[in-house]
Amino acid sequence: MDRVRAALERWAGHAFLWPVVLVVLFLSIFPLLLSLYLSLARLQFVPGGFQLTFIGLNNYRKLFLGSEQVHFLGLAGQPSLIGWAIFGLGVALLAWTLVSYARGQRATVGGVVGRGLAAVIGSLILLMLVRTLAPGGRPGTITVTLIYVFVDLTIQYLLGLGLALLCTQRLPGRRFFRVVFLLPMMITPVGVAYMFRMLADTTKGPFKPIWGALGLYNVSWVNDPWGARAAVMIGDIWQWTPFMFIVLLAALEGQSVEQVEAATVDGANSWQIFRHITLPEILPVSTTLILIRMIEAFKIVDLPNVLTNGGPGTATESLTLQAYINWRTLDLGGASAVAYVLLFLVTFLAMTYVNVIRRRLVET
Amino acid sequence: METFLKLFRRRSLLQPSVAQMVVSYFLLIGWAFVVLFPLYWLVITSLKLPIHVNDGPVYLPFVDFEPSLHAWKYILIGDLKNDTIRPYVNTLIVGLASALLALTLGTMAAYGLIRFRYRPRLGAIGAFLGCLGLAVIAVVLGVPWTIAAVAALALFILILQTVGRRFQKSLGNSDIAFWLISQRILPPVAVVIPIYVLYQQFRLLDTHVGLIIAYVGANLPIVVWLMRDYFQTIPVELEECAAIDGASRYRIFVSIVLPLAVPGLIATFLFVLVFAWNEYLLALFLSSARAQTMPLTVAAQNATRGPQWWYMSVLIIIMILPVIIMAIVLERYIARGLLVGAIKG
Amino acid sequence: MRPKFCTIVGLLVLLSLVLSACATPTPQVVRETVVVEKEKKVEVVQTQIVEKPVEKVVEKKVEVIVTPTPPAKPFEGVTVNILTFTGPQIAEPLQRRGPDFTKLTGAKINVIVVPFSDLYQKILTDFATKTNAYDAVVFAPQWMVDYIVPGYLEDLTPRVNADKDIQWEDIAPFFRDFSATFQGKIYTIPLDGDFQMVYYRTDLLDKAGLRPPETWDDYLYIAKAFHGRDLNGDNTPDYGSCISKKRGAQAYWMIWSVAAAFLQAKGTSEGSFFDLDTFKPLTDNEAFAAALDVYKETTKYGPPDELNLDVGDTRSLFTAGRCALSLDWGDIGTLAIDPETSKVKDKTGAVILPGTTKVLDRKTGKLVPCDQNTCPYAINGVNHAPFAAYGGWSGAINVGAKPKTKDAAYAFLSYMSQPAQANVDVTIGKTGFNPYRTSQFLNREQWVKAGMSPAAAANYLGAIEASLASPNMVLDLRIPQNQRYQQVVLDKAISQFLAGEITRDQCMKQITDGWEEITNELGRDKQKAAYLGSLGVQK
Repeated sequence: MDRVRAALERWAGHAFLWPVVLVVLFLSIFPLLLSLYLSLARLQFVPGGFQLTFIGLNNYRKLFLGSEQVHFLGLAGQPSLIGWAIFGLGVALLAWTLVSYARGQRATVGGVVGRGLAAVIGSLILLMLVRTLAPGGRPGTITVTLIYVFVDLTIQYLLGLGLALLCTQRLPGRRFFRVVFLLPMMITPVGVAYMFRMLADTTKGPFKPIWGALGLYNVSWVNDPWGARAAVMIGDIWQWTPFMFIVLLAALEGQSVEQVEAATVDGANSWQIFRHITLPEILPVSTTLILIRMIEAFKIVDLPNVLTNGGPGTATESLTLQAYINWRTLDLGGASAVAYVLLFLVTFLAMTYVNVIRRRLVET
Repeated sequence: METFLKLFRRRSLLQPSVAQMVVSYFLLIGWAFVVLFPLYWLVITSLKLPIHVNDGPVYLPFVDFEPSLHAWKYILIGDLKNDTIRPYVNTLIVGLASALLALTLGTMAAYGLIRFRYRPRLGAIGAFLGCLGLAVIAVVLGVPWTIAAVAALALFILILQTVGRRFQKSLGNSDIAFWLISQRILPPVAVVIPIYVLYQQFRLLDTHVGLIIAYVGANLPIVVWLMRDYFQTIPVELEECAAIDGASRYRIFVSIVLPLAVPGLIATFLFVLVFAWNEYLLALFLSSARAQTMPLTVAAQNATRGPQWWYMSVLIIIMILPVIIMAIVLERYIARGLLVGAIKG
Repeated sequence: MRPKFCTIVGLLVLLSLVLSACATPTPQVVRETVVVEKEKKVEVVQTQIVEKPVEKVVEKKVEVIVTPTPPAKPFEGVTVNILTFTGPQIAEPLQRRGPDFTKLTGAKINVIVVPFSDLYQKILTDFATKTNAYDAVVFAPQWMVDYIVPGYLEDLTPRVNADKDIQWEDIAPFFRDFSATFQGKIYTIPLDGDFQMVYYRTDLLDKAGLRPPETWDDYLYIAKAFHGRDLNGDNTPDYGSCISKKRGAQAYWMIWSVAAAFLQAKGTSEGSFFDLDTFKPLTDNEAFAAALDVYKETTKYGPPDELNLDVGDTRSLFTAGRCALSLDWGDIGTLAIDPETSKVKDKTGAVILPGTTKVLDRKTGKLVPCDQNTCPYAINGVNHAPFAAYGGWSGAINVGAKPKTKDAAYAFLSYMSQPAQANVDVTIGKTGFNPYRTSQFLNREQWVKAGMSPAAAANYLGAIEASLASPNMVLDLRIPQNQRYQQVVLDKAISQFLAGEITRDQCMKQITDGWEEITNELGRDKQKAAYLGSLGVQK
């Protein structure tokens, strides 16, 4: 009996982890490989089934160099001096980080190469942003997706944190607010998208009188690329702020009161308390939250799909929507190629994020 | 008035002053309005006749327009009755089962990643991938996949026992965690067809079990990551005390760690429940008649006639009701002081 | 920090190595015949999937008990699983008439529904992987080539020929000979007639002394005349023309309704999408340019958010009395008489799609005026080309179903299409069925019974008759993967053009290049053969 217990005890670590690894492996390996192969192939339906023809990197070439280039990467404009200045600054910053790492104590060859690669990819992304957002340019689906992610995450985090702080106060009725603030997250994303389409309708939606009072009867947000993008982002912020809110709330509620009490006794003001006690406590959770939301936000599809279907033109089309449109017409190769570019982009950003920000903030 | 003054006088670190309260309420009510107005619009849309919707905005039932229950009747007792109730039950089963399962497994893994040190060797992973590759080639060359899988597994174990031991370079816990979260990066459109094919082989298409497995797999990374951070805030001293008292690892986990992590568990449970509850694309492909879930019914209200706003509103409302009730019930457990009490006690 | 980065990069490299080593489709699908051919370094792997017994969606109720009258109920104990999209349209009549059919024949009809937007992939995935969960499907016949070429659909020709009750000759020639037929064989049973018409407000046009539009210039003139005026008495300015131009919705049919008359003049088998000899797209010439100009100009007389309206929105705008003109399928006719939705009952008129007086000369790519040679079917010198967008919902049978089930499925589809049932269903707005049989528009009694005034019925059915009688009806694009041609390339280019992202010439070039790219990718000869097959051309 004791031997059994001892064995169980010894294997505890494995018992805790392995079920998860197995479930995830079962569901991920085969789809990952098959869709990678699909991205290198062309699907055709032939008598008796279907046929996959291996075509190498053609699907990717189409995206980066071929007929989808403008759609995918965007149309380059003529950046102003400010644009170039931003780009220069960004590249300089990346280079400086790389150099200071290389001269540091713990540098290794692999580390330098890895960081060098990261710096190059980072500069290329920056170059694409600067050029397609410049006057005369037109952002492609990558840029649009990056804009969505960046703007949404920032606003959602700040809003979520603010609301969570408000809700930790001992206010009568705070439980009502807590439940209400959770509501948007609980609606199915497709439903949220249709709801916003109702709200954003300028001919029969609820804001028609306001719209009219502003003298905008003959103007619609859908005709303006940034108006349409803003509508998509408002919907996303509305839906996902609760996610930030509830996790931060749980984190804030979990923090120990004693430290705060002690600080108050020492005469610290509330900003100091937040800065030196609360913030460090919620940092680990915050970085996780942002990582999870970042990964999810890159997959934004329902809102642009229902609200505008990517229009006007291609203004609101996200990467996942581009993949979805290809997939809907069973161009599985094209869809998988877009998805794999997304996979590499997000993996790159997530790894950079984890390496640079999360470790620095959390693990020191 | 008196309570106000009392609060004002008794101002402690958690009790805001009157001015703060006014500002707080202003902000809270402001955001509550932002949240509730679209929902209000849903509710009144569900009471409108098509002509009320088409004709421009009307806001107040009985004042602006005569409310009608036609959409509710259609969904709940009329033509669509069977297409509502069955998916509804399916959603309940699949959502709850997958959320509970994901929470259980994920929490265990998160705890493991915090309190144990795993060193998966690179050699082993390489061998695994190699064997996988060989198996793939074998299957392509015509070997039945069951035989290929068994052979590959055997080969993998053999390599692991012999050559694999030489490569000692290994990964750490954070790499495992990153691998898990990276599973969520690929958008569902890229994996849904492969999963369909996989399920066809395992006879899992159009079954509850199939959907539950898919959602557990999809939601595990989120559970692991969130719970990992909650466990990190729980002091290890408590567990050490218990270990000295002779409690087993499992016992420590169940009776000490889990109770301390209740707020995090509840928050995480709500997420995975909501994700599974609302998932669309996998449900679309992996189910056809028996296991269809509610999001499909909602999306289906946009057909050749354009979106049927009134039906859609009813469906969305009945879809969120159970989750709201669950949120109200569970919200009280995301409460303060559990941790404090435990340390003091 | 350091080992982690390296190891993950290493992992990715390893993964890609493993993959590049095999570079073949993944295992589980393939079972039996694997043919590997090498052609110019391109590996062609043909995968054959084994048919597997798959559990049926609904358990079969095998009646062991005595069957008293076997000849009366030929399909006792058979269950037919029919897939279509979530109604009420299309699915509703199937569900409503299912029990009646069961009483007649004993076969149980089980209607399975999925959201409309995902029906196409759902059917194709099921057929291609041989899951065979569905015995029959009711779908838009535009997709049928994607199902017929790989051999997923049952050839119904012998059954139709042996079936008197279906009254095949009563079905309008276009639907009978083109819509239901591919390369001379019948694959689908029409249940619905889809083609586009122009709707107008009879009260407004009468008051202004205008005639319904005959040409697209007339259309623009009328739209301009009414745009910005109050059309429904609520003191807000309304719109001259409402056309669904939302991306990813129906916009790519709308542009073709405009373009069709410019592009096709010599009858259905001339086709309007590609040149019959070279298979070059007909999208880079003066005719298409003229169509794009018309299309863009209609936007000036539309609602401000017209670029984001789908047909649901334009229909509700029209029935709320806010538009003078609209371009749509037959649905507005039945919606306009529904008191729950409509403010324009008996104020709605329909007319065959406006035409043009100049048509494309395919040799030169220039517009030439209509005469007896260039436009043999012109009426009053105007070439009309009613566009059968989408084709009308039709039923087809999965070739993988059991023989007895196939018979039952065919019997049910035939039952649905027989005049006794169909002629009632097409007058009910909820069914989404539009007329497709001669008897349906010759016999106006049913329509008056459904709530149309005799004058409105005469007007609506007259427009339908004029369209269906036209020998120059335009068949929708039916070649393998037509969704990529239309939903991806055409739709995106049109949307970008309307949004001002690209100019007219860039738009035409983008469509032409995009189509050529897909054609080259899928094989020009195959695509051309399918195109000619769909038009019934023997070459």
